[in-house]
Order: sequence, then structure tokens, then C-alpha cells
Amino acid sequence: MVTFKLNGNTVQGEEGEYILQVAERNGVDIPTLCHHKALEPAGMCRICTVELFDGRRSRFVTACNYPIWEGMEVRTDTEIVRDGRKLIVEMLLARCPEVPLLKKLAAEYGIEEPRFKKGDDDCILCGLCTRVCERMGASAISLTGRGLEMSVDTPFHENTEVCLACGACASVCPTGHISIDVVKESHSSRDVEMIPSEYDMGLKGRKPIYIPYAQAIPNTPAIDRNKCIHFKTGGCKICADFCGVKAIDHLQQDEIVELNVGAIVLAPGFKPFDPSRFVAYNYAKHPNVMTSMEFERILSASGPTMGHLVRMSDHKEPKKIAWLQCVGSRDINRCDHGYCSSVCCMYAIKEAVIAKEHSGSDLDCAIFFMDMRTHGKEFERYYDGAREKHGVRFIRSRVHSIEPAQGSDDLVLGYATEKGEFVEESFDMVVLSIGLEISRDAAQLAEKLGVGLTEGGFCSTSSFSPVATNKEGIYVCGAFQGPKDIPQSVIEASSAAAEAGTLLSEARNTLTREKEIIQERDIRGERPRIGVFVCHCGINIGGVVDVKGVRDYAKTLPYVEFVTDNLYSCSQDTQEAMTQVIQANNLNRIVVAACTPKTHEPLFQETLVNAGLNRYLFEMTNIRNQDSWVHKDDPEKATEKAKDLVRMAVAKVALMEPLQEAQLAINQKAMVIGGGISGMMAARTLSRQGYAVCLVERSNDLGGNALNLFQTWKGEKVKHQLDSLIESVRSDSRIELRLGTELSNVEGFVGNFKTTLASSAGSEVLEHGITVLATGASEYKPTEYLYGKDQRVVTHLELDRLFMADDPALKNINTAVFIQCVGSREPERPYCSRVCCTHSIESALHIKETNPEVDVYILYRDIRTYGEREYLYRKARAKGVIFVRFSLENRPKVSASPDGLAIEVADHILGRSLVIHADLLALATAIVPYRDEKLAQFFKVPMNEDGFFVEAHAKLGPSEFSTDGVFLCGLAHYPKPIDESVAHAQAASSRAVRLLAQKNVRVSGTVAQINPLYCSSCGVCISICPYSAPHSIEKGPFTGRAEINPVLCKGCGLCVASCRSGAINLKGFGTDQIMAMINEI
Amino acid sequence: MNDWQPKITTFLCHWCSYGAADLAGVSRFQYPPNFRIIRVPCSGRVSPKFILAAFRHGADGVWVSG
Amino acid sequence: MLEYTEKIRETARKLLEEGKVEAFIGYTKGTVPMMNHPVVIRDPGKADILHWDSNCALNLCNYLTKMKGKIGIIANGCNSRNIVTHILENQVSRDQLYIVGIPCKGMVDHRAVKRAAGNREPEEVIEEGDTIVVKGRGFEETIKKKDVMQRNCLVCTHRNPVIYDEMVAPSVEEQKEVDQFKDVQMIEEMTSEKKWNFFTRAISKCIRCYACRNACPLCYCPTCFVDESRPQWVGKSSDPIDTMTFHILRAYHCAGRCTDCGACERVCPVGIPMRQFTKKLNKDALELFSWEAGLTLDQRPALDTYRPNDYNDFVR
Repeated sequence: MVTFKLNGNTVQGEEGEYILQVAERNGVDIPTLCHHKALEPAGMCRICTVELFDGRRSRFVTACNYPIWEGMEVRTDTEIVRDGRKLIVEMLLARCPEVPLLKKLAAEYGIEEPRFKKGDDDCILCGLCTRVCERMGASAISLTGRGLEMSVDTPFHENTEVCLACGACASVCPTGHISIDVVKESHSSRDVEMIPSEYDMGLKGRKPIYIPYAQAIPNTPAIDRNKCIHFKTGGCKICADFCGVKAIDHLQQDEIVELNVGAIVLAPGFKPFDPSRFVAYNYAKHPNVMTSMEFERILSASGPTMGHLVRMSDHKEPKKIAWLQCVGSRDINRCDHGYCSSVCCMYAIKEAVIAKEHSGSDLDCAIFFMDMRTHGKEFERYYDGAREKHGVRFIRSRVHSIEPAQGSDDLVLGYATEKGEFVEESFDMVVLSIGLEISRDAAQLAEKLGVGLTEGGFCSTSSFSPVATNKEGIYVCGAFQGPKDIPQSVIEASSAAAEAGTLLSEARNTLTREKEIIQERDIRGERPRIGVFVCHCGINIGGVVDVKGVRDYAKTLPYVEFVTDNLYSCSQDTQEAMTQVIQANNLNRIVVAACTPKTHEPLFQETLVNAGLNRYLFEMTNIRNQDSWVHKDDPEKATEKAKDLVRMAVAKVALMEPLQEAQLAINQKAMVIGGGISGMMAARTLSRQGYAVCLVERSNDLGGNALNLFQTWKGEKVKHQLDSLIESVRSDSRIELRLGTELSNVEGFVGNFKTTLASSAGSEVLEHGITVLATGASEYKPTEYLYGKDQRVVTHLELDRLFMADDPALKNINTAVFIQCVGSREPERPYCSRVCCTHSIESALHIKETNPEVDVYILYRDIRTYGEREYLYRKARAKGVIFVRFSLENRPKVSASPDGLAIEVADHILGRSLVIHADLLALATAIVPYRDEKLAQFFKVPMNEDGFFVEAHAKLGPSEFSTDGVFLCGLAHYPKPIDESVAHAQAASSRAVRLLAQKNVRVSGTVAQINPLYCSSCGVCISICPYSAPHSIEKGPFTGRAEINPVLCKGCGLCVASCRSGAINLKGFGTDQIMAMINEI
Repeated sequence: MNDWQPKITTFLCHWCSYGAADLAGVSRFQYPPNFRIIRVPCSGRVSPKFILAAFRHGADGVWVSG
Repeated sequence: MLEYTEKIRETARKLLEEGKVEAFIGYTKGTVPMMNHPVVIRDPGKADILHWDSNCALNLCNYLTKMKGKIGIIANGCNSRNIVTHILENQVSRDQLYIVGIPCKGMVDHRAVKRAAGNREPEEVIEEGDTIVVKGRGFEETIKKKDVMQRNCLVCTHRNPVIYDEMVAPSVEEQKEVDQFKDVQMIEEMTSEKKWNFFTRAISKCIRCYACRNACPLCYCPTCFVDESRPQWVGKSSDPIDTMTFHILRAYHCAGRCTDCGACERVCPVGIPMRQFTKKLNKDALELFSWEAGLTLDQRPALDTYRPNDYNDFVR
């Protein structure tokens, strides 16, 4: 250790350190230009000159490269030092009069104009670039020439491939003399390109060391070996010097880890289709033609334009945008993708609506499509809204090519209108709605595993086990199973987990370990003793906020008994130290001022627990993400803000009380309502995972709608599969069947339901822990198209029954007509029933296959054979099924005579009315929910306008309700075909098992509590709570007043804010606590 | 008036806006240091009383986001 | 009016005699002119003290809160809407009530009458059809009722009860052409500064007596926020900021529940136009949520429920 004097203060440094390093550590500011922490100092710019007194005389040395020695005296702020620096700055400014940094320095030293002759250079010859280039292991540039001719250059002033174009020189140059453009022009002979950010679809660059995206898990940077200079030259490693915790290890190797597993779930996802190969679309050439994925990034607030909607060529705000649908989908001519990608119609509409929201309603959005496929839940309504409310234009036309407009960056689309006229229209931007495809890697993986693929390259599965591959124990979910959107992917993910869980159910909990429980200290009655820990987070906070100042400030606050600052509060050793500090100082409340509680609160709470404190005696305040990182240029204000935040946190935590977490035992029995495919499948999945199930069905038979279904879209005969499912349910000893039974009452909540079942045999009370609603839906009974008046008019389920019976009447048919959207997509029922297009086509094909002579017509509005169902549509056309489109305003007219039915429809292509004489008319009738208000009330679950149940989250929670312990699957959620119903049933069971398997659930202590003395019984809390946590007290002195079941409470505080009487408080976010924080601002 | 610095009391929902404020940090967006953030479990927790209380304690603006 | 009084007395007597109700709530004449006050009678023999005229503007619903047993009550339009709100908010149940509906033609503003009488002290006020005769020491004035009506009654659109078991008279015609929110609109059009001045001036006289709160049937909490001390939402002084906080929060507590019965203004000893606070919220509830308080038993007030398509333009 070397001790010396710095500006009169005694300081210490390590042997071999330079003055600058010690000064920096002690908060003494010395200006530098050519210094870089990771490079050996060179003393080139001289601006770090300081005065050194060696005991006899003073002299000037450069602080950056003068080693310290015992007993020296250094002064950095004397007048003579200042004068010396001023002269240096003046000379540098004379050489480079236009460099902003030097101008700023000159102003600081009071120089208006240099006294010397002005040059026109912008390089101060500090050599920082050459030193960093050497460190990079390239040494491509050096200081060449002599005297006045000296400059930074490559040998012989030639572009060289020795220069790796890494840009290190440009990044360290203090004057801006070297930029990437200079490197490109006169240093490197290599391609100088930014590293495209994968997340931003290449619209933005990224560094070789990077976090893929802000929300990435784990949220730690990775080094891209292919781009990192170190892995090319062996040099650099500057990152390792900068990392305060020495976390970077360049020697780390890829490891092959062998895992012994019982099941595999394949979820490799999809690859967005690359439209570069479509030359006519000019995607590769024109920056204003972009893919929908790129457009998503443009719309994103964290995207390359920060959510500002501009086009790429000139960053102009577009006035007109076109979307072209089915790029890379439903196309076997230009690419081999005969399938429909399922998601593009909906995302294009969404993008158009959001674009309009971003840019104002005068933005013109036009979507060019073939069939609009909005078959998802609430999608049709969104489509209607986009068209009618937002004014998005929908043009039914497939555009052949996109031509750049002459003399501008605009683009011209030529297309045929529905009337057959050819129109040319100019747009500022064109978005290609690219489809989904399976990557080569995924296909290879499948081959390696021996998993079969479909025609479209997706994983092959069957309708009754939609997530099981042909290999036992290997399951699949997501787009690899077939193109699909988020909710369906989430459903399948749960479904695959259910399959794997079923297979492995015997091994459940065989690898768990008990956690050691530390006795909690009772702090009741103690005066608050608060410990405040302020974190530097390396330089993340410490580089901006005066952490020690904040720490010392915290010491002055009421009840604060202990303060400290940590370099990294989250590190293992700090956690251990914290535990000891808490115990040694008898602290009973803790504040950590560091990063965000969203990621780190649990960690610190665990530390509290380890120190014997209740985990809620804790408050974390965010002085990094919400302070130092966002106020980099204003350290003083940032420090002030940090102090305020600490003061607020201290005020809050002082009022914190230890909170208890309610425990809840989960009754291990399940109840499934509905004996259709979904209900049976849910019951069977639960039973196969070891749980007793009561399956309730109101009719006297199992099977539901499937009893009337002939075959699936994959051609599987439904009856056969259904019979075996029914048999497996009937013979399952863990499944109790209650046929002809309905619910007459439900009491209780998650884990402890008491349901009264009523049947002709009387009523019984069933106790169960969870409930699955699989109540299904029914077929719409039409009043239109002569249904019920002429027996040649049937619904598609009735037609299926004729098929199953092999009805001889079918043999004598000459012409069959199908009418689509009967009762669907109409003002009264504005949703798409999802299954009917596929169903009609499959029936049409069946008729054609039985007798190719029959003329079959399908009258439709949009054909919605999503995913690989599209192949059926193609096949139907190939087999001669005739498709005629009609519009909602111009529906077909049906009349009957003894010789047959006459169906009149306006043909759009021919532009005139067409009359078809048929002897069979099949109506593709809507799927209508039961709208079971009673059931909804029993389980406190919501229903939408159409009468379908509303799931917890449209995308991420499709199989459960926001009411805990109640799950959902099948048609009661939304119309869906058998494969999707099966997956949904398995998913609901999987979500239920997640709860059942815990046996006991601990819920958060952050829950609302009602003081009955203050309650006015008004019932607002009961009405407003989305989780049904409050209820009215039924007995005792507080009858009629409300109380909250902590088990159901999610701690949102809605009830607290709505309670006029001030009777409710939210523990952990108490009214007094929030008020205390408000008071401290 | 140009030197006037408003004091803004901010209520941010833990699940969305608070996370967004974190993300603003991760993205190094720079904004004026006039906000003091109170984390709440849901913007629904914010009673009108808090808003008035903030004004009573000298806030120049109250921002509820969630 | 007199025939109403007769009918009310008769009904009350009958209900009490038959034991259909244990108590009957109505109005009785005050000791000072125009100061009719609520009365609860339990004895059929007392039915004759019941009275009805254009000075029955206090809200009877106040007396229903947490009442036990069967109760008879008279209710005009606004009172009946408060009964509905009371039922929805579990303060009383429908089957406890026997509601005697009164088609209402509006109440008289006692201050306006006094002003019309040249601010002389009236000793007797006689109501005759559409005119009012004010007699005092050495004067007699005849005033047209419509010139001295309470301002809330002038713009009332629900004069007839929305819920009742029997009516004392056939329904009266509703006022259709009135612009309910003209005054609110005027304030809405003001600049923030003018608004601030308007409300600051409006409440400057407030003495924090809480008469408005006590007269309001919506204010039935066991402990009012103004009386809470931890945390203390509002100071107990008559500091303008405290007073403003009180008035704003009181109004907010009435949002989506206020029937504009006018009791608050009527009882205010210093004449603060506090309906200007609540009416703005009534207007918002109507415009944003198509909600008027107390018209239906089938739905909780607008702010007690959430629907995904609720108005949310305030979210930016």
C-alpha cells in the first residue's frame, strides 16, 4: 500500500497504480482526452497534467501514466496546473478549431479564440485509436508520417483487410475524427456492416455483447462468438476489464449436457416466411416494402423508431399503407405452401388499426386479401370495427406485383377490383403479411426423433390426441403442430404438459426436497428499527447517483438504525452479510435502494426470511431503472431523487406490519361439468393423473355434439373414436358419472367447493377442489332458407347423421348445395362459428367421393379453412365442387317445388344472378352457446355478449377463469373442432392439476381486509371485485357487512379505492403507507 | 417561468406501467427528473383521495398510469 | 296539494291500523313557515300530523338507513330514486317497504320566497294552486310558484316515483323540454382559472357544519372520511384547501348515486350551490355511462361495475 497526499488529503493506492486511478477513486476530477480505462496510458494529450512535489521541488507530470510512490504530494487544482492545462487546450483548439469537445473545454478554461494560427484538422494525434486497435489484436492503424505530416492511417494509405472494421477506433476517438464511415472509406477492405438486431428484424443494429431484448429471460448479456473480436484475434477482452464482478469468462466452452427424461415436448415454433424470393414484390430491393414482422417492430414503442410510424426510405410519416395477404401462404406456384397460415388476416387488421391509432385517422390503410379469415374469438367483431369504425379498406384482390413509383419512394400496386376493373394505386408503404413456415432445423429435429410430418411440413398428429406425435412420449405444441395464433398455442402448451404429466404422473414429487424453515422473530410491539441498504450496482447507480451521499442522508431519517452501501446488493456475499447485519443490529424493517422490485424483491425477501424476519417487513425502491439510468446527465437531480425515494420508502416501511400468508388445503377431487368430448377428455386426463373426478352431464348420454359428427377434417371416423372415449370414461374407476344431473347450488371457492347436484334420483352434495366447465354449445336451428318447411333442407349435423346411416336418400341426389354462415356473422350473432367452412367442404367431398356425378355447390362469404384445412379446400375445387360467393346484403334465396329446390344467388364474378336447382340443401348453421346465466352466477364467471364464457386472459389464459379454481374448455368458450376441443380439455385439466398437485396453497399476504366497524354494507366491494373475494357476512353481530376471503383476494386494491366508508385496507399497500409516501414527496 | 420545475406525483401499476418505467430505464430513455413514483398493485388502488392528498401536499401534477 | 295530504293521512292510518307497517315516514308542518320536516309515526292516531305541500324538500330516505321491520314511506320522484339506490346498496330491502308514491310538481325555495317578499320575514305562507301568498307583519304578497321553485325542481325529469306500492294521485306530466345541465355546461366552458375562482368563491362561505352531508341520504357511512384521523384525509379547519377537499370528495362519493333531490342546498345555512359539484358528475354518468341513479333495481350503479366497453377516453 502506498500512501501519499492528494490535494492535501492523505490517500492510498496499490503499488504500480497511476495518479489518475487513485484520484478517480477519491472523487478528484482530472480531465483526460487520450485516457481509456482498458488501455495502457500513453500521456499523449497532456491535459491530465498535475503538479508533483517530491519533497524538494515541484514539477509537472501526466497523471494518467505517472506511478504513485510513498510520500509524494500531488496537487490537481493549483493555478499553475490550470494555466498549464489552459495552454494545452489552447494549442489543441488551434489545431482543431471545430471539434465540439475542445470548444467546450476551451470555454471551461476561459479561452475565446486561440492565439495561435488556426488549422483545420480534427485529430489531436492522441493515439487512442491506434492503442485500441492494437488491443483489438488488429494493429491496422498507427500514427504514420513525421512532424507536420503525422496522421492516423493504415500502411501506405491503403484499405486493408487487416482492419476488421470493428469500429473500436471510432468508439474511443475523443474528437470524432474517426467514424465508421471513415473506416469504410479509407481503412478497411472488408464489408463494413452493422450487426443486425435479430429482435428488431434487422431494422436496427446491436453489439457483439448484448441482451437479445429488454424482457429476455435470463436478462443477462451474451457474447456473440461470431462477431466478438476476441474470438477472431485473441485480443480485446475489454468487457472483462469493465465488468465489476468479473463475470466474463472468454474461455467458457459449449457443454453437452445429457438429461435423463421421461417425456419430450417439441415447441420449436415457426420461421416467418422470407419473401425475398418473390422478385415481383421488390421486398429485397425496396426499403418501403417490409414484412409484417418488421412492421410490428415499427409499431412497437421499444422498436427501432420508438413507436414512431415512419417508412424506412426517408423516415417520412406514411399517408397510405397497403397490406398484402397470403404472402407465403395458400400459394403453391411461387412457394410450396399450400396451407393457410391462420394468423395473418387478424394480425394485418390489428396492425392497420394500431397504425391508425398511432398516426391519426387520416392514415389510409388498405388490406388486399382473398378470404378474410377472422375465425377466432372476438375476431369478427374486431374486423367489423376495423372496417366500420376505423375505416380500414378491405379489397378482395390478390396483387401480383409491387412496382416502385417513378421519381419517388412510393410504391404502385396494380390490381383488379371486384367489378373486374384494373386499377393502379400508389402507396407510401407496403406491408407483406408473411406466413408461417417450419424451419429446416425443426424438420431435421423431427427426422432425428422419428416424428412424422404432414404435407405442409408440420408435425403430424391425430384429432383425438392433437399434441401426441407418432412417437410415444414425444409431444408437440404451438406452430410446429400447425399454423396457429397465441391462444391456441397456449392451449396446446398446457395440453402437451398434461400429456407429459399423465405419462409421468407416478414420478410426481419424487425429486423434491424439503426447504429448511427458519423461525420467524416476533417483532410486534417493537419500535421500528430500519436498515437501509443503498446499492451502487457497479457503476449503474454509482456512476450517476452519489450513493454514499444517499446512504448518509438515509441515516438522518426517523427510525433508521443502520445504513450501508454495497457494490452489488444482490451478490451472494452481500446477501449473507445482510443477514448478519439484520441479526446483529436487531433490525426489524429493511429498505433496499437498488434496482427494480419486479426482479429483485423476492431475492431480498428471502434474505429477510433467512434473517428471521417476516418477508413483508421490506420495501424496495428503484434508484436504477427509474433514476440513474434515466437521468444520466443530471447527477445532482438524480441524487436528489434517490434521496426522496429512500425517504418515501422509509416512511412506508416504518408502517409495515408482519403479514401472514393464508394457507388453503385443496380438496383433491375434481368436478367436470359436461359429458361431451371436452368434458370426457378433461375428466379422463384428470383421472389419469391420479385424481378422482365427478363428471356431471345434464342429458342421459355421454358424447354431446360429437354423437352427430361423421368425420373429422383429417378423415377420421368420429364414431369409432368417440365410442372408445366413452368406454374409457365409463370403465374408469376414478370417474364417477352423474348423468341426467344438473347443478342446483354451488357454495365455496377454490379448493373447497360444495356443489349440490340434482337429478331425478334426488339431490346430493359434492365436495370438490376444482371445477371444469365444459358445458358445450348447440347447433343453431335456422328459420331461414325453408328449413323445417322442406325436408330436403337440412343442417350440417343432420347431413352427418344421414352420412352415418348411409341413408339411401343420398344415392338419388343429382345436385347438392351448401349455404355457409347460416346464423353466423350476422348482426344478431356477429361471430364466426369457425368449423362450418371445413365441415361443409368435407361433406361436399364425401358426396363427391361417393358419387362423382353429383353437382356440388358451396355458397359462401369467405372460405375459412385455416391451417392445413386449406388442403381440403384445394382438393374440393380439384374434385369439381363449385364455390360461389355471396354477400351479407345479398343472401341466396331458396324456393321449393315438387321437382326440387331452386336456389338463387348473385354471382360476383359473372355479375348476374344464378339459379341452382338442387335436391339437397345443407345449411352450415352457427354454433350457439347455452348462455347459462345460472352456472355463471354459481361460479362467478363472466360471459360475453354472445353468451360464451370469458376466460381469464384472451391470449395467455384461455383455459381458466379469473375466478380461482374454475377452468374452461370446449365449445362453451368458443366454437371449435374436435382436435381443438380435445387440446382445450387437456389444457384445462393441466391448469387444474397445477393447483391440485400443490395440495396446500399459500397465498400472498398482500390482501385486502375489511374492518366491519367501518363497513356500511353498501356492497360496492362485492360488485367491483373481479375475483369474488368479498362477500356479505351471514351470521353474528356484523351480519350484512362485507368480509374478504384472503384466499381469493389478489391484492389489487380495487375494493379499497371504491370503499367510501374507508372500511377496507390493503395490507402491504396500506392507505396510511401510501399517504405517508405522498407526504414525503 | 422557465426555471419552474413541476413536482409530479406518480402512481404506477406494479404489473404494467411500473414495468414500463423499468423498461424506459433499460432502454436508457432520458426524461426530466421531476417524477416521484409510488408503486401500487393496480391503478384501481388509487383512490381520488390520494390524488387530492397529493395536491394538498404540494404536487403540481398527479399522474396515474396502469 | 291538500288532497295529497288527505290521501297520505288516510293511507298511513290504514297501514298502521292493519299492521302492514310498523312505522310510517312522512312530513309534518314545521313551527316556522316553509319548514316542513320529516316525521316518523307509529301510532295510527297520529296520522293527522302528516302533511304535504311544496315545502317537503328534505329527503326522507335518510330515515330508512338500516331501519328494521316494515316501514311505510312517501316518495316523490327523487326520493323514490334514492329508495332504489338504498335497496341496491343494502341499506333497506324492498320487502320491508310500503311506498306511497307522490307525483311531484316541484318544491319551493324558501330563500327565493323570502327574496320575493322583499326579504321581509314571512309569518304565514299559503299555497293556492300555482300561486303562493306570503303574509307578514304589515305586508301580503302573491307570488307565482314557478318563480320561486327550487332550481333542481325546475330541471327535474323524474317527477313521478319510479317505484311504489300505491300512488296518492295519477302521474303528473314529466318536464321534457328542460335542459338539465345548462349550468354545468357553462362551468365546463370556463377556463381552468375561472373554474377555480368559481368554485373557490362558491365554497368560501362554508363553515364546515356538514349539514349537506347530514341531509343527504347517500351519506350513511358509520364513519365519514372527514372524521377519520389515520390517515387524515382532510383537515378539520375551514382552510379553503380543506374545505375544497371536503366538497370534492363529498361529491365524488355521490357520483352515479345522486338524484339531484336538492336537500344539500336546501339545508345549507350559508347558501352554497353545492349541486354544482354533484351535477357535473351526474352529467358525466349520463353521458359516459348512460346512467341515471335510482331508475332500476336490476343494475348496480355505474361506478360499481366494470364492463370492457366502458368509457375510457380519459386513458391516454
